[in-house]
Formats: sequence, structure tokens, C-alpha cells
Amino acid sequence: MRMIPKTLTGQEKATIETELKQAYDFDPKDPLFGLTRQQLGGPELHRRSVLRLMAAAGTLTAWHLMPGSGIKAARAASGGHLKAGWAGVGEFRTLDPAQINQVLLFQIASNILSGLTHINPQLVAQGDLAADWSVSDDGREWIFNLREGVTFHNGDPFTADDVVFTYNRSKNPQNSIHSRVLSNVTDMVKIDDHTVKILLGAPQASFLTKTLERASGRAMTIVSRGGLEQLGESQYGLTPVGTGPFKVASHTLGQSIVLERFENYYDPERPKLDKVTIIPIIDAEPLAAAIEAGDIQFIGGNPVAPELIDRFEANSDLIVNIVPGPGFQSVWMNPWREPFKVPDFNKPVSELMKEKGFKVRLAIAKALDRDRYIERAQFGRAVPAYGTINPAMGFYFDEALGEDSNQKYDLEAARRLLAEAGYPNGEGFPTLKILNTPSARREVQVIKDILKRNLNINIELDTKDFPVLIDEFDRMDWDMTRIGSGGDYDPDDGLVDWMQTSSKFNGRNRDKEKMPFGIFSDAEVDRLTDEQRLQSDPQKRKEMVQKVNKITSDKVACAFIYHPVDAQIRHKSVNFPAESRIPGLVDFDLTTIS
Amino acid sequence: MAVMEATKGAPPEPPDQRWVWLRLIARDRKAMVGLIVLAVMTLAAIFAPFLTPYDPSAQDFAMIGAPSWAHPLGTDDLGRDLLTRLIYGARISLFVGTSTVFMALVAGVVLGVSAGYYGGWLDTIIMRYIDLQWAFPNFIIAVYLVAVFGTGLSNVIVAISLAFVDDFARIARGMVLTIKEEQYIAAARTVGASDNRIMWRHILPNASAPIIVQATVSVSYAILAEAGLSFLGLGVQSDTPTWGLILADSRSFISRAWWLGFYPGLFIMVTVLSINFLGDALRDLFDVRESKDIGAN
Amino acid sequence: MSGFIFKRSLWAIVVMWAVATLVFFMLRIVPGDPIAAMLFDVGDPAAADELRRKFGLDQPVYIQYFKWFGRLLVGDLGNSIYGSRIEVSRVIWEALPRTLSLTALSFLIALVIAIPAGLISALKRHSALDHAVTFVAFLGLSMPDFWIAILLIITFAANLQWLPAIGYSPLSEGFWPWFSHLILPSIAIGTPFAAIMARMIRSSMLEVLRTEYMQVARSKGLLKLRLVMVHAFPNALIPVVTVMGIALALLLAGTIVVENVFSIKGLGRVLIQGILDRDYPIVQGAILVVSFIFVFANLLVDVLYTIIDPRIRYD
Repeated sequence: MRMIPKTLTGQEKATIETELKQAYDFDPKDPLFGLTRQQLGGPELHRRSVLRLMAAAGTLTAWHLMPGSGIKAARAASGGHLKAGWAGVGEFRTLDPAQINQVLLFQIASNILSGLTHINPQLVAQGDLAADWSVSDDGREWIFNLREGVTFHNGDPFTADDVVFTYNRSKNPQNSIHSRVLSNVTDMVKIDDHTVKILLGAPQASFLTKTLERASGRAMTIVSRGGLEQLGESQYGLTPVGTGPFKVASHTLGQSIVLERFENYYDPERPKLDKVTIIPIIDAEPLAAAIEAGDIQFIGGNPVAPELIDRFEANSDLIVNIVPGPGFQSVWMNPWREPFKVPDFNKPVSELMKEKGFKVRLAIAKALDRDRYIERAQFGRAVPAYGTINPAMGFYFDEALGEDSNQKYDLEAARRLLAEAGYPNGEGFPTLKILNTPSARREVQVIKDILKRNLNINIELDTKDFPVLIDEFDRMDWDMTRIGSGGDYDPDDGLVDWMQTSSKFNGRNRDKEKMPFGIFSDAEVDRLTDEQRLQSDPQKRKEMVQKVNKITSDKVACAFIYHPVDAQIRHKSVNFPAESRIPGLVDFDLTTIS
Repeated sequence: MAVMEATKGAPPEPPDQRWVWLRLIARDRKAMVGLIVLAVMTLAAIFAPFLTPYDPSAQDFAMIGAPSWAHPLGTDDLGRDLLTRLIYGARISLFVGTSTVFMALVAGVVLGVSAGYYGGWLDTIIMRYIDLQWAFPNFIIAVYLVAVFGTGLSNVIVAISLAFVDDFARIARGMVLTIKEEQYIAAARTVGASDNRIMWRHILPNASAPIIVQATVSVSYAILAEAGLSFLGLGVQSDTPTWGLILADSRSFISRAWWLGFYPGLFIMVTVLSINFLGDALRDLFDVRESKDIGAN
Repeated sequence: MSGFIFKRSLWAIVVMWAVATLVFFMLRIVPGDPIAAMLFDVGDPAAADELRRKFGLDQPVYIQYFKWFGRLLVGDLGNSIYGSRIEVSRVIWEALPRTLSLTALSFLIALVIAIPAGLISALKRHSALDHAVTFVAFLGLSMPDFWIAILLIITFAANLQWLPAIGYSPLSEGFWPWFSHLILPSIAIGTPFAAIMARMIRSSMLEVLRTEYMQVARSKGLLKLRLVMVHAFPNALIPVVTVMGIALALLLAGTIVVENVFSIKGLGRVLIQGILDRDYPIVQGAILVVSFIFVFANLLVDVLYTIIDPRIRYD
């Protein structure tokens, strides 16, 4: 687990503990989360306030509080042209925030477009396009004073009209895939050219830190009405017009996008660079060759292929910065197919353990030597997983689950279970197929090998391109599938999306007569997941989340394998200040090249 | 793209028709080498499990190991022995190469002979389609067909078989047009032989020479086509080792493990080269015989 | 002769239509719903239906066909189903110069290698040089082009670092960047082609040299080089022109694979990526344009051939 390399001093640990305690020290029923109106108002939230809000929203992680790493060298002069490669992607299909569903795309858009607020890694919330703001006593009415003198890249002035326009566009599911983020906003009203009032249905801790923030928010990333009208939706997605520090000079789909310094950015100190060229490089080897040859000086985008990380670390010209990644990957077993058929999960684990189908499921999960898998498939760069709740969710991540879970690796027990199920040493076990995407082929071959050597069972790879795979997965037309999720920063992303009977990934196109549920269904999991969503007390929420997570683990909803890590690689001449290292973002506004 | 080499000197009168082939090929050293290489490879492919000390899927060894005594061609990124995988890969390549050409040959010859013999609207319809297909390189057609049918080994076999039909159809038809004017055909007809009999018992055997030459050429291209499709990710999708797939998988490790990129391609090249040598020799052989026969008439 | 040209052109149009129609229908019966893949993360069946309606994928196939064909005739190739739904014609328009640059450069490189090789081989027939060249030619056309590409990357890009491993730079940004990005892929594509050309030139030259006219002229000795270059060589080239059509086709087939190795977004890469993504409009558009290039090239070659060699019977 080579994930968090630094060991903390006693002093640092004490600071983190104090901050955490302070953050969680409030009455959850307080609509202002234990803060005063002053503290919640603009023009800037202090660190303690932001920590409190994040704690109240449940998104505060211990990792957020770690002392930052970054070059503390003297800032180099501005100017220069940075060339960046974006890993694992062939082209940037759209940069329209309403359509973006991949973090790698948002990394680019965040340099071009702005939100009302912005959080930096010191967790100080600053106004971005909002100069100042205030909130009512009941926490449901917010007034924003917008920054004056801001213009879009095309010269249009930024006013409250643009905020309302963005709101109306984003709340319509036909225009935006993020409309759900705005479900708590009842109305947004223009007071005057530089003042907007926003009404919420209920006090929302994550309002400033998620909904309005240009990073995870996206729903309120301000778009240019003039730009949309002039370019049309399609072209706007390729060359968006915004108010950010960089403007789009050109975008050749599949080859590169060139960003140029926006001369009229409202902060004359930013950006430092003159120009940024971003090139999508889908294959691992050309990416490595490019940064080693100096063709690019920075790597962003999808997680870098794990086989390259050792190579980059060994290169003295490169700096590698690794943080926990938000996601999980599992091997799913179809509960409607032999030999792991389980038609009903609504029993205590002890009852389930008597069933043949469950024994097979558990045997497979317990035979998956995660350490060996991580070593061979991920070159040691991953964290073993026993549930959908990943380390990037910090506070909610259950480190002890690896020891407590029913799925914990135990070869003898696995073999015993398989024998009890009627397949001693794998004899008579049918050859099953495992669905996977072409990019996962390598990993699945390692799984196949582990199951063969540990349980003596054979599985065959069934590699299908993603559109076909999804079709079959949704119809439950498969024996086993290797699939998972990324970009999960909140427990909802794991539990609501995968583990509930009504989850969107839970066999939604299956034959509902033959299969009452898809991949998994447990009444207690359903109930607890619903409850934890509405739970504003983070301690209580944590307890619920960990309990649900353990149930899904013990009952083998799937065989969880690993959580990926997120590595940032840059050339040593690139000064990417700690202030820019925000989870999930690659903001170049303070970057310089020496 | 059959290139006609200048004919070599005419060989002496062969005492035995059937073995003349082998003798004539034996004169061409390159062809002999080719034949031996192919024979060795075929045998190795068939008897692979007995020959190789390792299992091709066994991920037991150090990952990305350079060639050594234990692993003469090195190991790949999952710790499998490369030589073993390449030998097993020969199975797929040779199987696909020969089966697709066989099917293309049968389909193409049937179409071509029918078109050439019957003429008229049948000829027009068939040849219009064949011309349509002939306008495009076989590999492109195979890609198009995979786009339609989907990826996977069986689809690749169908795609390549269909893509190569045009070559055989054209040659077969051309030969039929020439031969059917020959005297012995007229003679057979007077005697009352049926159309079928004439087509398959009389015309076809005499048309076989260029068809056989084409078959050898096509096998080498079919092998290259399968490798190309697998390389692009359009071919075999499981973990069955095929040379194209091994080559594609090597791309992520190319700078650390040159052997992963070098040897699969080398195996492909050697196989194709051997087939080409053989094909070339066969072409010379049949040219000679043809000119002899025509001269004799 | 204009009758010939007219007939061939008509045939070319029919071919294009047949290809387009075949592709359209066959792509529709294939498994794999691209809309589902696009919305995987969002998981809303209502949105899926909405999108399907938006793209007209819910109407009967023949209606879709007529609509599509109608748009085709005015040059509208439809839109990609992903992301910003960029126009297919625009994607292809941007990809075309790359593929054409690559093809042209590969062709030139192939000729630069093949002409001297073929000539020397023919002139020094049966010498050691001839055998060496013939053998190397055999090797060249037995090597898969993607393998050559990988070997070139290993040597020149990864180890020596003389040349970039991937990408493309348009001519407008300078000759050297354009050239350095294209030289390796061009060698990979051009090599098998050069091998075939060299052999063709060799045998063609041998044919010409053997004619009596040449024998007589040769006996005059000193004029040899002039003879070869001015008389023999141009005549030898005539049959070579016949393979130009096939040549261009081969080169384009080669670019499909090599573009993928070097991540150059030309027609080949667009096509393959479209197939893997099940992006119907892109695949259709790419197949149409690629086919058009072949058909057009063949047509051109046929016409060229009749102009050069009036002895040919046309049909």
C-alpha cells in the first residue's frame, strides 16, 4: 500500500486531530451548522468554517487535513508555454459543463469556466465570481453579491442574468445531466445586475462547497449565453466561452486543445502561464515516451497506468505525487445463475452460509488473494477493497473492514467452502465466463490465474466493447463481470448507485418476472442507505455507512477487489503550487515553468 | 499482386508426374527452407503441449523478464513464458490462415466457375458483386465486416473468408473462360457429359494451377489480416494467445521489454516469408508447366 | 474513349451507393446499444428514450435510411452520438489531410527505395546484389506494417529519442515538425509497398531490356546509362502504372493500422475508434469516405492507363 508516503510528526498529527474535533463539534439540528451568519457570509470563508461545512456535509476527510506537499521554491516569473498530456483518453468530446460526466474533462473546463465560489486546498472558500454573500437565519435564503468588472472571453459582461440563465439551463434534465444536483434549489432570482438571491428547500451543508463550486458542483458553472447563441450547443462543447483564467484558442478534436491567457481575467495576477496545450494520449507507452522526451511536462486526465508509476518515480526529472483515488472495482457474480445462485439475500449471514450458492460466492471472494492481485495487476499501486466505500471518502472509510469482513482472504476456508458446496478441489465446477472491457483484459487475466491456482476453477474471458458489455450487464445476461466505479467522493456514489434494489446499475433492463432483483438486494441495506442520505449528523452517518458497507461485504454483494490510486506526474521545472492541488482538479492558474 | 518473375530454364522431362512438384521445389533453395520452416511450425503447433515445458497461461514467473536460459524469449508483463505463448499462437494463426483461405477458395471457385461457364445474367450478377468487392483491399473489407458483425475470433474468420472470395472468383472465372473454348471440352459435350461433370471434372482440374498459387499467396495475407485485426483490438478477445494480440499487448511495455514487441512480429514474418517462398516456387513451377502444356498443344 | 470514361464513372457511382447502403443496413442489425453506453453514468431510462428520439433511432429502419440518404446527398453525414455530437463531416474533414499526407509521404518514400532497388536489381541481374535486393524485398513484404512501426518506435523514439513517438503536426506549423511526425509511420507503411514495387520494376525492366530494340541499342555500349534512363525505364514504368490503383489501396489499408500505432487521428483511426465505440454515424461516414477514395483512385488509374497506353482494349 504505497499510498500515503509521508509519516507525520507528532505535532502534525495533533493539529489534524484538533481540527477534526473542532469541525465535528456542532449541533446537527442547527441550520447554520454551528456557525454564525458572519462566519458563513462572504467574502471569504475561513478555514475553520469550511472544515465545519465539509464535516456537516460529510465530505471532510483526514486526508484533506494533511500538510500539503508541493514545491516551496521561489515562484518563477510568469509566461511560458506548458504542454500537458491527458492520460487514457483519445479525445475531449465535450467541455460543456452540463454534459461533462468525466473528471478528466472537468479538469480542463475548470480552467476555462468559473463558479460562484471556489475552494482551494487550504480549504479556504473564496469567492470566485461572487464577491460577497450572506445567508438568512434559517439557512434557506442566500444572497450573492457578484464581482463587478468581470467579462466573458468574448467580451460580454458578466451579470446576474448569466447566473439565472445558467440555473435555468442546468435544472432542465434535457439540457444537463447534472440537474439532480440542483434539486434542493427552489428558486434563483435576480435582484439587480450584480445581486442574486437563491432559495433552498432545506438548509444544505454542501451548498457552498458543492453546488456552487466549480469543481464538484458543475451545475452552476457559469456558461455564456452569448457564446452558446453564437456557436451553437455543439461547437460550444468544443470551444466553450467562460470567465476563467484561460480562454480556448483552438481545439482540434483528437489532437489537442490550446488554452491562452485571458488578458481581461478579473485577477490581474493570474494566470501566470501564457499558453497551455493539452494533448489526449490514450496509450500508456506513448504517454511515457512523451514526458520522458520532454514533449509534455505534465500529466493529467485519467489515472495513469500503474505500470508506469515505478518508471516515473525512478526518473529524477519527474515528480510523482500520489493520493487515494475515489472508486472501487469488483468481480460480480450473477445471483440468478448456477453455481452461485442466491435468490434471496434477506436472511442473516449465518443462514446464508448454509446455502450452496452462497458458499460458492463466498469461496470465490475469499480465494481472491488481493495482495497478489494488486502486486501483479496493478504493480502494487492500489488499495485492497472490501466494500464500495473508498479511502478518498476518508472519514467514512473503514480500515478495519479488511480484518472483519466475511470476504477476507482465507485460502483454506475458501477451499473448504467450495468442497462443501460440492466441488472439492474444483472438480465438476463449470467453466464460467467473465465479462470485461478491453482495457481490463490484463487485470482479468490475473483474476483468472488466481482462481485457477487457488481453487482450481476455470473462467473464460469474455471481452466485449463497452456498449455491448453495458447492454448485457443491464440485462443480467452474464455469469461474472468485472466492473466498478470511479469519481466516488461521497458514500452515496457507492451505496445508492450500486447496492440498493432500486440502484441504477442494479440490472435495470432485466426480465423482472424471472428476476425480482438484479445484482443484489437486501432490505436492511435499502433502508439504511436511504436513512444515511438524510442524516446530517456526520458521526451517525458514519456509523450507518460503515454498517451498510459491512453488510454488503459480508453478504458478498460482489467480490470487491481494489480501490485505485491517483498519481500526478510533472516535470521538475513545472511549479505546481500546493495551492492548486485540489482533489480531482488540475488548475493551471498559478502554475509556472522555470 | 502476383508478380510474374522471369521464367527459369526449363527442367528436364520428369519421369513421374506426381513427384515432379517436390523435385522442382527442391531446386529452389529458398522454397525448401520455407517448406521446412512451415512443416516445423505446423508440427510444433500441433504438438505444442508436449513440446513446451510451461503452460501458456501460467503466470508463475517474474513479470517482464528478459530472455534467459529458462525463458529463451523472455516473459511478458503477467509473468508468462513468451516462447510458449508464441508456439500456441501459431495454432491460431495457422488455423485461421488455412481455414479462411479454404472457405474463400471453395466459395470463390464455385462462384467463378458458375459465372464463367453459364455466362449470361448469372455471370453479370456474380461478377458485378465480385468487381465491387475487388475494388477494395481485402484487409479493408475484413475491417468493414468486423465493424458489422462484431469482434471475436469466429467473426474474424467469417470476415476474412468473405473478404478473400473475390480473388478466387476472378481467377476461377478467368480460367474457365479460357478453358471452355478448348477442344476437349467440346468433345466432352458432344459425348453428352452434363454441365456439372464438365465444370468439375474437366475444367476445374486444368484451372487448378493458378488457383493453388493464389491460395498460397492468400494464406500469407490471411495470416497478416488476422494479426492486424487482433492488433487493432478487433480480433480475438479472450486471453488465447495469438501473435497479433501479443504484439498489441506489448505496446504498453515496449521501452522496457523490447522482446515482447520483437519476437511476435518475427514469428509472423518468418511464417509469411516461408509461405511466400513456397508460393513463388509454385508460381514458377506452374508457369513452366503451363508454357510446356500450351506449347505441346 | 469518353464513352469508356463515362461508363466507368457511372459504375463508380453505383459502387459507392451499394457500399453505403450495405453498410447502413448491416450496422443496424448489430448488437450493442450506443445510447446505453453513453448514459451509463446517468442511468435514466427516460433520458435514454429522449436521446433515441433525438437521433431518430426509434423509427423504422427504412425511414431512417431514406432520411439518411437524403442528407447524404447534400453532404450531411450526420453527427457523432457522443459528447458534443460533432458533425461527422467535420471529423472527417480534419482527419483527411493527415491520412493524405501520410499516404503521399509513404508513397514517395516507397518510390525512393523501390526505383533504385528495382533498377539495380534488373541491371545487375543474378549478381550478389540482385539476390540481396530480392531477398530483402521478400522480407519487406512479409513484415507486418504494424510490427515495423513498433520496431521503429523502439529504436528511434524510445531509445535514441531522435523522433516523436506519436501525434501529428500540420504543415502550417512548420515543415520539420510535420515531417518528423510522419517519417516513422511512412516508413512503416511504405516498406511492404516498396518491396512489391521493387520487384515489379525489376521484372518490368527485365522484360523491356530483353526486347530486340534494346539488344541492338546495347551493342553500341557507351550509351548504356542514357539508354536505360531515357528509353528502357519509362517503358518499364507502364505496367507499373497498372498497379498504382492497387498500390494506393494498399497504402490506405496500411494507414489504417499504422495510424493507430502512432495515434495520428486520420481516417483509419477515426474508423477503428468508431467501430470500437459503436458510433454508427462515424463508422458510416468513415467507410463512405475511405471507399470513395478507393473508387476514385481506381477510376483515375484506369483513365490514366488508357491515356498512356492506347493499345488497351476498353471493355
